[in-house]
Amino acid sequence: MFRDATYTDLTRTEAAGEETAAFVMDEETFRGFYERTARGLWAYLVRVTGDRALADDLLQETFYRFLRAAATYESESHRRNSLFRIATNLARDARRRSLIRAGSILMGERIENVPSSVDAAVSERNADLSRALANLKPRERAMLWLAYAEGASHEEIAGVMGLRASSLRPMLFRIRKKMAALLGRKPEGGAR
Amino acid sequence: MRHVECRFEEDVLSAVVQSRWPERVDPQLQAHVEGCGICSDIVAVAGTLDADHDEMLSAAVIPEAGRIWWQAQLRARREAAEAASAPITWAQVAAFASAMGLIGACFGASSTWFQAALGSIKSGVSKFELAAFVSSVAAAVGHAAFALGLVLIVLLVPTALYIALGRD
Ligand SMILES: [Zn+2]
Repeated sequence: MFRDATYTDLTRTEAAGEETAAFVMDEETFRGFYERTARGLWAYLVRVTGDRALADDLLQETFYRFLRAAATYESESHRRNSLFRIATNLARDARRRSLIRAGSILMGERIENVPSSVDAAVSERNADLSRALANLKPRERAMLWLAYAEGASHEEIAGVMGLRASSLRPMLFRIRKKMAALLGRKPEGGAR
Repeated sequence: MRHVECRFEEDVLSAVVQSRWPERVDPQLQAHVEGCGICSDIVAVAGTLDADHDEMLSAAVIPEAGRIWWQAQLRARREAAEAASAPITWAQVAAFASAMGLIGACFGASSTWFQAALGSIKSGVSKFELAAFVSSVAAAVGHAAFALGLVLIVLLVPTALYIALGRD
């Protein structure tokens, strides 16, 4: 596995001494892109999988697949959407392979309360959020996170999730309503 | 039909993610949200997720970009080396067998001497005329060198191609 590789000055020197692997993106561009996206991607993976260790692994795997994809992108947002699409597929595959202990996620017992905070109010809100998210499907968590944490447009979410943009609005409406109820509001808020 | 959208939801969402909600928004918008299920859901969900997002970003402990880059380089190179030394796959075996079959069929259909030799072997076997049988076997053996050469080309070309492409 990729995560087992150890990074030392020795391996770095060894890599530098050899021919550069054929990535379309150069190192400088990659570093900039990584700095702009990695934290957000990690947060997304933690919230979608509910598993911090898995999110760490998937983060590295996502960037590797992204580099190997050998695609060219017309814009930064296109590139970013592609990254999140890879991450979404990896998280789904990991779940299918039962890397997540299925029962715990489905029952909402193991969704991690991250990050741990010394602030009691923040901790409580974090616990409420973790509990609420644990009661959603991974796909629903992903859509909500992209819409309201990442601020992605419906078209972008559709691209990442492999859905039709026109189906996004009713889906988001339903999931948002469910989430709001889970966060402690009245289950039936009622549309206007 | 059930409403799934409200014309104020973009305004409400903007106010939430820009931390203007609830103090720095128009009182009319506040009043609307109180009576609108869609907008109040947006306030609750977007407010919670947006705040969590900010906390997650500041709490994230991620590997350094250079580390990810060099590990990817090493892995890509290792995978390329593994691919080059991988054993011949079933797909390659199937492709090779198909090519052999096709060439054999073309050879059998187009070669008059092969057809003639085959015909005389058949008649030789059915009538068992020793002289005819011996002469037809001799004709086939006479072309063995040509057939062998053909088989060698058929074997060598895909092997050479496989080695050349596999090393890339
Ligand atoms: Zn409204």
